[in-house]
Amino acid sequence: MIVSMASKEELLGLLSECVLEMEDDKVVSVAQEYVDSGYPAVEGILYGLVDGINKAADLYEKEEYFIPELLLCSDAMYNGLDILRSHMDKAEATRKGKVVIGVVEGDTHDIGKNLVKIMLESGGYEAIDLGRDVPAKKFIEQVEENGARVVAMSTLMSTSMDNMRKVVDLLSEKGLRENVKVIVGGAPISSSFAEKIGADGYSENAVGALRLVNRLLAV
Amino acid sequence: MRRSGDSVVMPIADFHCTYDNSAGINADVTKRLNLKFPDAYKHWDTMVMLSKALKDHDHVAFCLLPFCHTVEAEAMGGIINLGDETAGPRAKEYICTTAEDILALPEIDYSNGRIGEVLKACTALIDEGEQVILEISGPFTILNVLIDARNVFRIFRKKPEQMRKIFTKLEEELLRYIRESEKAGVNVLSFADSSGGLNILGPKMMEQYVEIFTYPFLREVGKRTADGTLVLLCPKTAFSLIGTGKAVWKNIDLGEPMRYGEACISCVGKTKYLGEMCINNTQFVLKDGVVKALVLV
Repeated sequence: MIVSMASKEELLGLLSECVLEMEDDKVVSVAQEYVDSGYPAVEGILYGLVDGINKAADLYEKEEYFIPELLLCSDAMYNGLDILRSHMDKAEATRKGKVVIGVVEGDTHDIGKNLVKIMLESGGYEAIDLGRDVPAKKFIEQVEENGARVVAMSTLMSTSMDNMRKVVDLLSEKGLRENVKVIVGGAPISSSFAEKIGADGYSENAVGALRLVNRLLAV
Repeated sequence: MRRSGDSVVMPIADFHCTYDNSAGINADVTKRLNLKFPDAYKHWDTMVMLSKALKDHDHVAFCLLPFCHTVEAEAMGGIINLGDETAGPRAKEYICTTAEDILALPEIDYSNGRIGEVLKACTALIDEGEQVILEISGPFTILNVLIDARNVFRIFRKKPEQMRKIFTKLEEELLRYIRESEKAGVNVLSFADSSGGLNILGPKMMEQYVEIFTYPFLREVGKRTADGTLVLLCPKTAFSLIGTGKAVWKNIDLGEPMRYGEACISCVGKTKYLGEMCINNTQFVLKDGVVKALVLV
């Protein structure tokens, strides 16, 4: 084991800073130094990487960071996670449960979905990312296969909105609805639309989506 | 590090896009036509039928082509899901991951593929006496089909010289597309790049985008197109030019209240750029009988 010259607090601060400053190369060596020093991986994630992405999310809410910055911060976070995750238990990594997330069929705009995924993962959820243009059936299959507690759907196109309803209806048909919370988002989506299709909640942005899931699951 | 919030940036207004987020086509129209989808998106003759039917359905004075924002990217090698009668053509999977991949993509052949059919459809409609508006997509919209947006943002921030080369490549392609469209008889172009809007890029990157691409590109369009060719700008683009001081508004008196689309057509030959409203907002009326032209400075 390499004994680091830097203290745990210094390395946590560096991990956070690497994420905030979009240092996707430097974060790898800092994360490696952190685990090589024998410090607990889970704290590196929570008080280092997640601290950084939370600061980035704050700047995003204040309109100092925008989508490009948040995505690049998340690149740094994921690079750090690749190192730290391999040193922690699976149970620690997904302590809050699984979320099946995707852009519904008919649409390929996935920036918003990716931001929600970042916030959910930084908030302690395991995101099962189905990508974009996802058929309703696939959401259901993945909920069943993974025992997911939440389905998160987005679309930017009004022509694809109705495919969200299909997912909600299919969950009911399969008898899964009671155990799964459904959240929706995207430019043409609103709270009233969420209510109309029988979803549990709507969020207009990624930071709000994490709060919404926490509230719905009471965690 | 210099953040958007640390520097003094020009106030660029955003336009909230609600009319044409992407590729949907009205289901009533497609049902009536009895066309086979997605085949109908691929051929000039069915494009003509669809475009005329949509014109009638929307009660507008023009035929819009194409029906999606994937034509240019597909012609560069992008993989497209052609969709069906309700959800039209859209990106399927990315073919690029790096700037080098994009720069290595072949030049567009405007006589072949769906882009060639679009140009043939333009000519056919014009020959029938229709007023055609050809919708052209900007760089971020094109790139959105070819490469994950996060890679584009990374290139923009971390390899700006590569991003400039990508913009140059796309500018050359778009200028060639415009030249070919004029050969096909088109005299009204609509330019939009909603994937590169202020709400996505933020003010700092938006300002850079206007500086590196939008402004010089539109100046070239102005120089290279015929005097009678009109360019309709998506308000997101128009507002970005105004907000960065690259353009100013100039009122044109229409003489009477008019719907925006009709006002645009009436301005052919009178100005080069319009952009106060989205061309897809078909029912928007200029109540005071004045339309705003954009003058590049």
